[in-house]
Amino acid sequence: MNKIQKKVWMLALVVLFIMSAIWITLTYYNQKTQSQYNDVLQRYLSLNEVTVISQQLVTDLNNYLIKPTPDNLEKLDASKKQIHEAKDEIFDLRNEENEFALTNYTNLLESLVETTDRSMMLQSEQEAEGSNEEFSEATRISTYISEMTLTIIDTELKTYERFYRSIIEQSEELKQLGIWLLLLITFVLLLLTYWFSISITKPVQMLTQSANELSKGRFDLEIKVDSNDEISFLAQTFDRMRININNLIIEIQEKAQLERELQQNKLLLQESQLLGLQSQINPHFLFNTLNILSKKAYLEGAEETSDLLVSVAGLLRYNLKRLDRPVTLYEELIVLKQYIEIQQARFTDRLNVHMEVDESCLNVKIPGLTLQPIIENAVIHAIEPEEDGGHIWFRVIDKGNAVIIEIEDDGKGMSHEKINQLLGGQKVPAEGHSTGIGFANVVQRLRIFYRAENVLGIESEEGKGTKVIMTLPKMGEEKQYG
Amino acid sequence: MRKFGLALIGLLCIVLCYFTLLSAEKVFRTNGQLPAAAGSAEGKPRLILITKNLDTPFWDQIAKGALEQAEKEGADLEVWGSYGNNQEDFLEKIEVALYSKVDGIIVQGSDSEEFNDLTKVKASFHGIPIITVANDVPKEKSLRKTYVGSDQFLAGKMIAEQLVSDMGAAGKVVVMANMRHEYYQDQRLEGLRSVLDAYVGIDLIFSETTEVRKDILAKTQQILNESPDLDGFIALNADFASPMIQEISKRSQVEPYYIYSFDDGPESLALFEQEKLDGIIKQAPDTMGRTSVSLMMNWLKDEALPLDMDGYLTDIRMLKVKDQR
Repeated sequence: MNKIQKKVWMLALVVLFIMSAIWITLTYYNQKTQSQYNDVLQRYLSLNEVTVISQQLVTDLNNYLIKPTPDNLEKLDASKKQIHEAKDEIFDLRNEENEFALTNYTNLLESLVETTDRSMMLQSEQEAEGSNEEFSEATRISTYISEMTLTIIDTELKTYERFYRSIIEQSEELKQLGIWLLLLITFVLLLLTYWFSISITKPVQMLTQSANELSKGRFDLEIKVDSNDEISFLAQTFDRMRININNLIIEIQEKAQLERELQQNKLLLQESQLLGLQSQINPHFLFNTLNILSKKAYLEGAEETSDLLVSVAGLLRYNLKRLDRPVTLYEELIVLKQYIEIQQARFTDRLNVHMEVDESCLNVKIPGLTLQPIIENAVIHAIEPEEDGGHIWFRVIDKGNAVIIEIEDDGKGMSHEKINQLLGGQKVPAEGHSTGIGFANVVQRLRIFYRAENVLGIESEEGKGTKVIMTLPKMGEEKQYG
Repeated sequence: MRKFGLALIGLLCIVLCYFTLLSAEKVFRTNGQLPAAAGSAEGKPRLILITKNLDTPFWDQIAKGALEQAEKEGADLEVWGSYGNNQEDFLEKIEVALYSKVDGIIVQGSDSEEFNDLTKVKASFHGIPIITVANDVPKEKSLRKTYVGSDQFLAGKMIAEQLVSDMGAAGKVVVMANMRHEYYQDQRLEGLRSVLDAYVGIDLIFSETTEVRKDILAKTQQILNESPDLDGFIALNADFASPMIQEISKRSQVEPYYIYSFDDGPESLALFEQEKLDGIIKQAPDTMGRTSVSLMMNWLKDEALPLDMDGYLTDIRMLKVKDQR
């Protein structure tokens, strides 16, 4: 059966039960009292009846003595029979207190009947005198019976007085009980109704609230209803719906995210490739030329120039090849060193690079050409403007589940806004002349590659240098990306 | 706020519940227990003690003794009677008792024709034994089984002896008696006479009156008027003592008179304690009650056992004011 319906039925049944219990009790009580009243009345009526009958008997006897017709005799006999019946009735009224008196009473009745019989007998024997004497005796006995009736009723009243009073008191008490009962039931019902209504309306309220939240678009709140009826079922269904919707939304969001990232990645790649193409003024020709130049310089004895040219050629080849796929930190480091050699040829003593590399981290994969643009930045901002040059520290540190790469310079540093601008991916007006790939490009690529926002951090203070920290998670399985 | 309201209603419910239970308990408690229904129809023998002087100390004691004895012997005894020597009611009570077919009647003897008629004819007609108590009737006139009480002749004698020893061998003494000759008074008078007749110096004035208080007062007045030189009074009927003394005290001191009576009047003992009576005959009412019931029970149990027709005499003794002091 329906649970709410069940509740309504329960309430109705409880009320019905209370009502009927009270009704039955009161009816039983009333019946009891009524029968008590009846008993009491019956006692007095029986006693009174005896007086009437005994007087009737005397009257009948008188009539019979005056006129001994069969008709009168019949009446007399009827009266006698009545006396006997009354006697039996009276006999039942005996109790411990009035036993003596009632025995006397019944004996008086017997005496009356006996006297009547004697009178009739004497009458039939034509002894008028004796008959009259007996008649007067019967009259006297009848009088005694009347008197004794009064006495007995009087005693009865005394004996039963306490009882009668208690009946009166009890009826008073009953009135009071009625009032108390009414009050009690009123308040009990108030409480019951309150509980009942709250057990129905509270879940509905909770459900309404949840629906409100859902309609506002908050799909993350659980819909919970403490109830054991249909409302709870409703809530559960509702909750399942919420979870489904929530999952769908998350899925859609993820998809959108993925798409956006893909798009971005493509754009960046295109940018890089464009830059690559721009500088592809026949790169192979340039590359071959550089090699020839290197050999030529070597043959002419300018070994340093030759080495420099090899580095430039390596850098150029690397740039041409490695843009669109991940490389190991080791490969990246080789290119970095070539770049530093080139720069050192340019700045000589002004550029001081300190490398501290943890060799165990060299097989970490990173996107190609990510370190070089940052060093380039450092060179541009920390070495180039300074007449006395500067220092650049490059550190690779194993941090367990990640590899930390720190690039620190002692240049003039930068402001907070600038840091935010850089990290936010905004274009920064270029100073000097870089190889082409900007800082923002590096940041974006790193983020996309590692799918994490905090891959790159910048610590800087104006006048005290800049420190770029890359936190590269060690990925178990490297995937080609993009 | 709602919580508070709920708690209030809950509390109210509990309080109401308490009061309701209290009230229900009162309503459904079965109070006013009805007397238990009587047992077997034919149970204990029913005895009735009938007197003319209900609610007097003397008769109360007899009734008390009788009731106690009846309880001991397993009989139902009721005390009936009339108040203040009412002869008519008294006789009616006896008649009712006879018609009620009680098992035995113990009655204060009253030597009148109606009484004797009832006890002799009606009682034997119904076969109901009658024992007289305290006051006897002549045994040949009424067919009483026996008499339980004081030896009235002896009582009279004792009073006379006391009078002589108090007053001396000479004096004028009024003897007040009931106009309706009660047998016990006659006996008392005989007792008196048997002693006082020997003293020539003692002048006995015999005076009779009815039991009505007014008449007693008038009679006393008359006597006092006729013979102002009285020395003593003897109230043969103890009921007379009180109005007699009242009348005397109107005229003079009660002290100088030698006044004697018996203890079976309503005020006898009180008057004696006030020292208005110089001496009373103290009877044994309690013993009378007990003995009468026990004799009646004996008779009912074994009718073959003959009772002494002359009666069973109980103790009497003279109470004197001097002794009391």
